[in-house]
Amino acid sequence: MSKLDNIPVRHQPTEAAGRKRTNPLAHVFDELVKFCQSRSMFMLHYCTGCGAIELPPAMTSRFDMERLGIQPMVTPRQADILLITGYVSIKTLKRIILTYEQMQSPKYVIGICSCTVNGGMYWQSYATAKVLKDYLPVDVYIAGCMPRPEAVISGMRELMSDIKSGRAQNWKRYYENYDHYLGNQQKLFGEDWQTPTDIIAEARHYGLMTDRTLGEHTALLEKHQRPLEALEMRLSAREKQKT
Amino acid sequence: MSKDLNIWLDDLLGDIENIQFKRKSSRRVRVDVGSEALPALLELLQGRASYVHLSAISCVDWIEDEEFELVYHVWSYETRSLVSAHTRIPREPGVYLSIYDLYQPAAFFERDIHEMFGVFFEGSPDMEKFILTEWDGPPPMRKEFDSEAFVNQHFEWEQYHPQWLKDLEEEGGGVTTRPEDIRL
Ligand code: SF4
Repeated sequence: MSKLDNIPVRHQPTEAAGRKRTNPLAHVFDELVKFCQSRSMFMLHYCTGCGAIELPPAMTSRFDMERLGIQPMVTPRQADILLITGYVSIKTLKRIILTYEQMQSPKYVIGICSCTVNGGMYWQSYATAKVLKDYLPVDVYIAGCMPRPEAVISGMRELMSDIKSGRAQNWKRYYENYDHYLGNQQKLFGEDWQTPTDIIAEARHYGLMTDRTLGEHTALLEKHQRPLEALEMRLSAREKQKT
Repeated sequence: MSKDLNIWLDDLLGDIENIQFKRKSSRRVRVDVGSEALPALLELLQGRASYVHLSAISCVDWIEDEEFELVYHVWSYETRSLVSAHTRIPREPGVYLSIYDLYQPAAFFERDIHEMFGVFFEGSPDMEKFILTEWDGPPPMRKEFDSEAFVNQHFEWEQYHPQWLKDLEEEGGGVTTRPEDIRL
């Protein structure tokens, strides 16, 4: 019989240990914040695969996600939800991780389509990544090839109720288990994989450092890390070759 | 008018030696031609027979024959018909002539074929990586590339029936309706 601890359950909110709340209104205020958070979600729909086709009907007048307070957002820095709508190729996955790391906490990831769960019908393909949750913490999966707008909305409502009840804490896992996620990323992208965001410093800032944040993979990252440089701007790819 | 052209084309192609020519329908013609004669044939089709549009170049890997088959699809707006010119080149060394000087869009297709099959086109303006810019494995569409082995080597799989679920089921819990019980 496996131990109870081995069974993956949804992340439970950890009570801030030893810190007693004295203000009776603090709880009320927390509830209010959670309610508001769950009712105004901006989603960055980074449309990766064919599942994106179901989003326009879900967003527009037929199914109308805006009545739930879900709106599309154009930049990752102002978005709460990262929607991943279908298969992710390895090239795309790099961009997804860059995007995810730039989003502000608290942030949520929704994996739409079977392809994000276990490769879907592209399980044999050399080009697509298979299990999305190896590389990012995923809050809700919506399975289906492709899921109907009703399913998308029901997944969204699931996330909303998780936020309201304080269960949707998966974004903390990325900081707490950064070494694990980085290890999987390095396995796929090579040892010198690095992103512009300093996750370890952020983890320190949020107070989310655990003994799983740092490890052999982050040590490898430090070894290969290059300081960031400003991107070079040029008008066409050809220009440089000629000069 | 277009009918006359078709008849004329049939006559013309029928007269050339070393060419197998099959009319599949009123708007499709298949030509099998040796690799040395293909540029000349395309030049003829483009210059004399109004086949000015190169729709695509496709490539087939015949690994048992040790050959690549290249198919050039050219379209004529006059006769509204498509000629597919098939040619075969040896798999090793997999080098062929570019038809960039005849049809400029060929650069695009040749670059793609170079990337996916490793066929090198001499005279093509750019043989750099195109879509697979972050890929350093072998050309993935070649038949000897085993995609499944690659996948199993590089990826982990999600478990549909992990140990903890089996344990739960032994105790009488778990999934009530199994996927195999659902008949559609
Ligand atoms: S699950 Fe189906 S619809 Fe969704 S991305 Fe994969 S193939 Fe496309």
